[in-house]
Amino acid sequence: MELKIVAGEKEEVTEELKKVGLEEGIAERIKEDFLPAELTVTLEDLLEVPIEGAYAEDIILMLGREEKGEVKLGDIELKVNKSELSDRIKEELKKKLKAVRTKLTREKLDDIMERVVERYEKAKVEPREAVGIVAAQSIGEPGTQMTMRTFHYAGVGAIYITLGLPRIIEIVDARKKLSTPTMKIKLLEEYVIERNKAEELAMEIEETHIRDIGKIEVSAADMSVWLSLNEKRLEERYIKREEVEEKIRGIGTDVLVEVMEDRKLRIQRKKQSYHELLRLEEKVSNTLVKGIEGIRRVLVRREPTEGYVLYTEGSELKKVLRIEGVDSTRTTTNNIAEIAEILGIEAARNAIIEEMMSTLEEQGLDVDARHITLIADAMTMDGEVKQIGRHGIAGGKASVLSRAAFEVTVDNLLEAAIYGEKDELRGVTENVIVGQPIKLGTGAVELVMGE
Amino acid sequence: MTEEKEKNKYTKYEKARIIGARALQIAMGAPVLIETEELDPINIAIAEFEKSVIPITVRRSKD
Repeated sequence: MELKIVAGEKEEVTEELKKVGLEEGIAERIKEDFLPAELTVTLEDLLEVPIEGAYAEDIILMLGREEKGEVKLGDIELKVNKSELSDRIKEELKKKLKAVRTKLTREKLDDIMERVVERYEKAKVEPREAVGIVAAQSIGEPGTQMTMRTFHYAGVGAIYITLGLPRIIEIVDARKKLSTPTMKIKLLEEYVIERNKAEELAMEIEETHIRDIGKIEVSAADMSVWLSLNEKRLEERYIKREEVEEKIRGIGTDVLVEVMEDRKLRIQRKKQSYHELLRLEEKVSNTLVKGIEGIRRVLVRREPTEGYVLYTEGSELKKVLRIEGVDSTRTTTNNIAEIAEILGIEAARNAIIEEMMSTLEEQGLDVDARHITLIADAMTMDGEVKQIGRHGIAGGKASVLSRAAFEVTVDNLLEAAIYGEKDELRGVTENVIVGQPIKLGTGAVELVMGE
Repeated sequence: MTEEKEKNKYTKYEKARIIGARALQIAMGAPVLIETEELDPINIAIAEFEKSVIPITVRRSKD
């Protein structure tokens, strides 16, 4: 009962604020308060799915003081293969054990094996475990530790990226328009090594409008637009004068371009009116000469391990991947909707995991990848990226009682009554409300007398 | 080894339910199936579970 009232009150505040029309910032703040609740609503009914995972890392630590001894490679193979670990962990373990082979005795090997298996068993999730709740809380709690209520920017050079809780919300909300879309463009062979080539490619991508490369003047006296191109800018951006003229002619068939003696361009339209002239000026100024519309800036950086890499402000994955010299297999964007559209839902799922992990990591928070994987799975399992909202996954959760429990109780119940909705009592909330054991953990076990 | 296997047959939730149900039976006067010094029904149920003599199993549904 109490829960209903609290949730209802909060919702009223949101609606109220929206009505008053307060700034987005406040809506964002309320959104932050809601994140754990939203995750919970979405994931609370998920259970079980045994997943594997173990910590092979500490075996090296466990070796402790150095001892003399040598275990045969064959022994390691045999021991590890016999154990009930997953294949991936087996491989990793073998590699690590072989590396320290000279310090191992047989007893020590047995000891290590035993402990690794033990840790592995512990890390397993048992059937009927409420993994959804655990995942929701595991993201919700770190959320309280993150830089709250502020946009936190960390620069890659001078490009700003939204980080912290606002970024997490952006991901979970499956927003199509990001506040700071950005791409990391990896390059192919020669572009990686040569700065010139990388820079030339960067200019190929960065959007350049005519207003960026010259001065535009409108002269009402002779009803024309005058453009004086900046020689230095043209050179910087590898643009030829002819290209610019070409682009201007492309505005319309009745556009006349004349090159004057002082290299100024005189642009006119056949239909001459003052209104028409102003429109022409705007069109000229916004004409794209080079690059990809939407990529406002490109930064060339030399990464110690990767060579030259381009960072962008703005994201246009589809167009960027087509450009020659771009490594289409390793280029990424932080816009998940774009990834889903161009590379498919599995790629989007991976992107969600990757983005959430790196956002949390940047804040110094360590969250088990399995929780995030679950959230990514919940968001993408229908084949499209769906947001985690106040009512769970959009269109996913239908239960009347759980909706009523979450907010505006009476409205929800009334609405449901009008439409004659039924409640199957499958989820957690519904069963708690009616006072039944929930179908999770011990509540999901069905006992039978006799063997 | 077989005893080990037997123990692992149930998840922790199943184990809790079986022991709980059995403890309730014992508390209400059901005959105890093993020799034990224990007096607390829950401890008796645990001892019975470890010897796997409890006549209760679990139905695992498909869903």
